[in-house]
Amino acid sequence: MSILKFLGKRLVFSIFVLFGLSLLIFTISRVLPGDPVRMALGPRAPEWAVENMRAQMHLDKPLYAQYYYWLTEALHGDLGQSLFTRRPVVQDIKEFLPATLELALFAGVIMAFFGILLGAVAGRYSNTWIDNSVRIFSYVGVVTPSFVFAILFLLLFGYILRWFPTAGRLSPGIARPPVITGMVTLDSLLTGHFATLGNALWHMVLPAVSLALGGMAQEARITRSTISDNLRKDYIASAKGFGVPERLVTLKYLLKPSLIPTVSILGLDFASLLGNAFLVELIFNWPGFSRYGINAMLRKDLNAVAAVVMVLGVVFIIVNILVDLVVAWLDPRIRLGAERGK
Amino acid sequence: MKRNFIIFVISLVMLVSLALTGWAEGGGTLRVSFAWPTYIDPAVGSDFSSSCSFVNLYDTLVYPDTKGDPLPHVATAWEASKDGLTWTFHLRNDVKFHDGTPLTADDVKFSMDRLTTIGEGYAFLFIGRVANTEVVDKYTVRFHLAKPFGPFLSTLYRLYILNKKLVEANIKKPGPYGDMGDYGKGYLVDHDAGSGPYMVKEFRVEEELDMVKNPNYWLPIDPNAPEQVRFIGTTEPATIRTMMSRRELEISDQWQPQEALKALDQIKGVDIAAFSPGTEFYLMINTRKPPTDDIHFRRAMAWATDYETVVKHIFPGAIQARGPVPQSLPGADPNVFQFHRDLAKAREELAKSKYANELDKYPVEFHWIAEVPDEEKVALSFMANMADIGINVKVVKVPWMSVVDEMAQEETSPNIVSVFDSSHYPEAGSLLESRYHSSSAATWEQNEWLLDKTLDGMIEDAIATIDRTERFAKYAKIQEYIVNLCPTIFLFEQVEKHAYQAAYVDWPVAQGQVNPVMGYNMAARFIKVYPDKRQELLGG
Repeated sequence: MSILKFLGKRLVFSIFVLFGLSLLIFTISRVLPGDPVRMALGPRAPEWAVENMRAQMHLDKPLYAQYYYWLTEALHGDLGQSLFTRRPVVQDIKEFLPATLELALFAGVIMAFFGILLGAVAGRYSNTWIDNSVRIFSYVGVVTPSFVFAILFLLLFGYILRWFPTAGRLSPGIARPPVITGMVTLDSLLTGHFATLGNALWHMVLPAVSLALGGMAQEARITRSTISDNLRKDYIASAKGFGVPERLVTLKYLLKPSLIPTVSILGLDFASLLGNAFLVELIFNWPGFSRYGINAMLRKDLNAVAAVVMVLGVVFIIVNILVDLVVAWLDPRIRLGAERGK
Repeated sequence: MKRNFIIFVISLVMLVSLALTGWAEGGGTLRVSFAWPTYIDPAVGSDFSSSCSFVNLYDTLVYPDTKGDPLPHVATAWEASKDGLTWTFHLRNDVKFHDGTPLTADDVKFSMDRLTTIGEGYAFLFIGRVANTEVVDKYTVRFHLAKPFGPFLSTLYRLYILNKKLVEANIKKPGPYGDMGDYGKGYLVDHDAGSGPYMVKEFRVEEELDMVKNPNYWLPIDPNAPEQVRFIGTTEPATIRTMMSRRELEISDQWQPQEALKALDQIKGVDIAAFSPGTEFYLMINTRKPPTDDIHFRRAMAWATDYETVVKHIFPGAIQARGPVPQSLPGADPNVFQFHRDLAKAREELAKSKYANELDKYPVEFHWIAEVPDEEKVALSFMANMADIGINVKVVKVPWMSVVDEMAQEETSPNIVSVFDSSHYPEAGSLLESRYHSSSAATWEQNEWLLDKTLDGMIEDAIATIDRTERFAKYAKIQEYIVNLCPTIFLFEQVEKHAYQAAYVDWPVAQGQVNPVMGYNMAARFIKVYPDKRQELLGG
């Protein structure tokens, strides 16, 4: 009951956040210098063609009226037309978002699994050579932008060793699976296209690992730090003193509470991947949402910019709610505190 | 546990082996990288990648040769009325669209009407010039012009003929074009409706355009022309370099930086093809703002500019421009006066200027386009050159959209803006009109604000002249007139550079057969690809 109340509160709050976000991005995108329609149609398009398109997009109306039209249409599921792809923005999102979600999910799994594993091992064996190696890896990972890893991997595994493909989601000649979710791996699995699945995973390795390394290093650092702190806590010593098996102490009493800060950061890192993946997508020619978003901003594609920001806003909200739920599950103090407060 | 691990390893091996199947792309494929977006609707796109797509997917009435002169194509013959207002074209009767529908005069009229109604893409070439299009009979079409227009044939390289029946069947209503709904724009986002030598197989917007050879094309296509053509939307240098080295890309885009081109040139079997595409780099001088409103001041700047440094070190391979029209463009005057760096002459001209004694009061503001980093080097070189004669130049980096806004008004136009520009159709008249006619003031194509009625009259008279020789003679006089006014520093003609797989690709451009019309050098039917030679390079 208290969880439902908590969720309800968060959802109501989220609506206000999204409304504020829409107002902000709408205003900013429209007051920037330059005429987006002229940019889209080119300098030589006749003025009447430019005016026609302005009218179609309601750009000939005052700003508040433009916002009213945009909001009304958005509430009906119409996010307008992209000035550059010349398609409904909703169609663009349907095509590009799954590509980045798929990449981010794989990167997120790599990030979470290896980040926690490395952090746990380093924390458990703190101040040993294992810990020192993980710390060096973490420093390098945290300070190196993902696009640097992307270029390094492209040159090493694509250019020199030629182990992995370097561009796109699938090799030419590989049949695409019927679209169910838009994620090629998942759709291939669901429809039994295993050759496509293998090929898609093969294409995913370099971009997903490039994206994951920074977050992985971050998670490893945080996990290591909390584990080595908790190791010194009295309750661990008591558990050991009562003869609780070492494995149980590590997994249940040490690792579980140590994951709370890691999970909070992991959620934010994951959501950030959607917006920050653009350079990796550019390098591996990955037709994703992040690249679409950056292009939309560079081209001043008004409807696309607003849609991209709103989608990212929604993703952040969902991820934050999920993180709160996971943290509540991990930390009985939060769960019980919420129940007491009902 | 152990059993699960074994199953996992076996599955992984199976997936990897399956992944590798289909990896090697068959021979006879031409892959070219481009800056995106690209459009395959001829009533929407007009940029480089779109133009390259049109040339492969659609046919035109006339086809440009390497001098830019029109050759018969879908039209076998044509005639113009004496007053130049009526142009009649006789069409072939054996041209078929990709779905087998015969191409007729109706399709030509539909394509012109659709283009000028939508008003985007290359429509600006015809709006205000073509009054209406008449279908004389099934294979004869007639254009009625609003005023005489000598280079009309050259503009027809941009009238791509659409399958009327197919487009009409895919119109969505309601739409912005009344009875015509969306005029098929939605359908043509990722489908073609052409009769060209290649057909769309798949177009993944913002990613890749895949085309296959049209087996029923009405003209013979060399058997070594590629079976498949893929236009790939990436210009990232590390990606391009990797793809070229793996022989997964045959021709690179034109936007690779000098360092990347050098690295590409080092790859075995890869060469650099360089040619002048008819684009010129101008320092557009505001002739109405002090101190550049003084002709002697402008001439002094033209004499003091170090052209050699720019073409040798900043844009290596470029050639110094001669007047307002690139020399590769039909109608350019090869004899028009060309400035060179001569400080004595610069000082002599400066002394005649009304600002000669108060140079410190009149700095020259030079705006360069933030999106083209190499322009900063030009601006700084220019600043140093002008310092040699005592002119103070203030260099300002400005984003392109802000430059366009500035140039929209005389008061806000800076003293100098550096801009690349090219012709709209392959004739000198195009650039002369778009750069110097009063109608182009307040657009990004003219910072000069000449507003010279004599010049306007000369340009209008020239482009209304039907006889080509007579028209070209008039162009030459206009070029001389403009150079005498010195409203611009004609810095250099751009050289377009592409890395390409010389070991297994025959690209006419690399042999010097350069077409001056944008996009036509990427006509895949003239490019030969040899898969066996590619395989040799790959070591198998």
